[in-house]
Amino acid sequence: MPIIVKLDDVLYARRMTLTELSERIGITLANLSILKTGKARAVRFSTLSAICRALECQPADLLEYAPGPEDGEEDRDE
Amino acid sequence: MQRPNGGALRATRALLRVLIALNLGLGVAIAAMLLASLFAESWVFGALGVRPGAGRAALIAGMRLMAVIGIASVPLAHLVLTRLRDVVETVQQGDAFISLNATRLRTIAWTVLGLEALHLGVWAVVTMASSRAQGLDVGWEFSPTRWLAVLLLFVLAQVFEEGTRMREDLEGTV
Repeated sequence: MPIIVKLDDVLYARRMTLTELSERIGITLANLSILKTGKARAVRFSTLSAICRALECQPADLLEYAPGPEDGEEDRDE
Repeated sequence: MQRPNGGALRATRALLRVLIALNLGLGVAIAAMLLASLFAESWVFGALGVRPGAGRAALIAGMRLMAVIGIASVPLAHLVLTRLRDVVETVQQGDAFISLNATRLRTIAWTVLGLEALHLGVWAVVTMASSRAQGLDVGWEFSPTRWLAVLLLFVLAQVFEEGTRMREDLEGTV
């Protein structure tokens, strides 16, 4: 997956745990864990804005695009 | 997820079990009759109304061929019924939108298409075996509804596949 989630880095910078973030924004720890470990297939804008509001950051702080050799095939909608 | 209607599902599962057993029983009965016709031709075909004289040989060959078609349809019907039973099981478990069910529906669609092809084969046999002296009347008639049902099954399988894919996507959405 060419999208890298840097939630760990931002949480560390804000000295916040995933559990605390989960309690603040009302998203389950399980779902946040799926996001943090890069296993999520998609992120809702509502989730992204809730995380950015809680961590006082921008989406670009959380997500990074790193194209690989197979990029383009994964992103193609079929 | 809301639990599906348990009573209706139990009745459906029971009905499918009965149909599976009946189908297999029918296959055995047809096979037994075909076998008997090889050893006691006069008795078997006499009981089935075949008269001596003109057209007898063609009629007997046609009826044996129809028995073979009947036996061939048994595994196809078994495939349809067992796949349907498996789909119903997943509904009972509360998780029907899985990729395996999309595959099962597609299998059912292709198998029913095969059964319809066999049904056309029956028409061909009836046409060839019948003569002016003795006709083979099995009440065959072409039904566009049956072919429409085949098309419906393919469409349903595709819709199920899309729905399953969308659900899998949604499950990975945070």
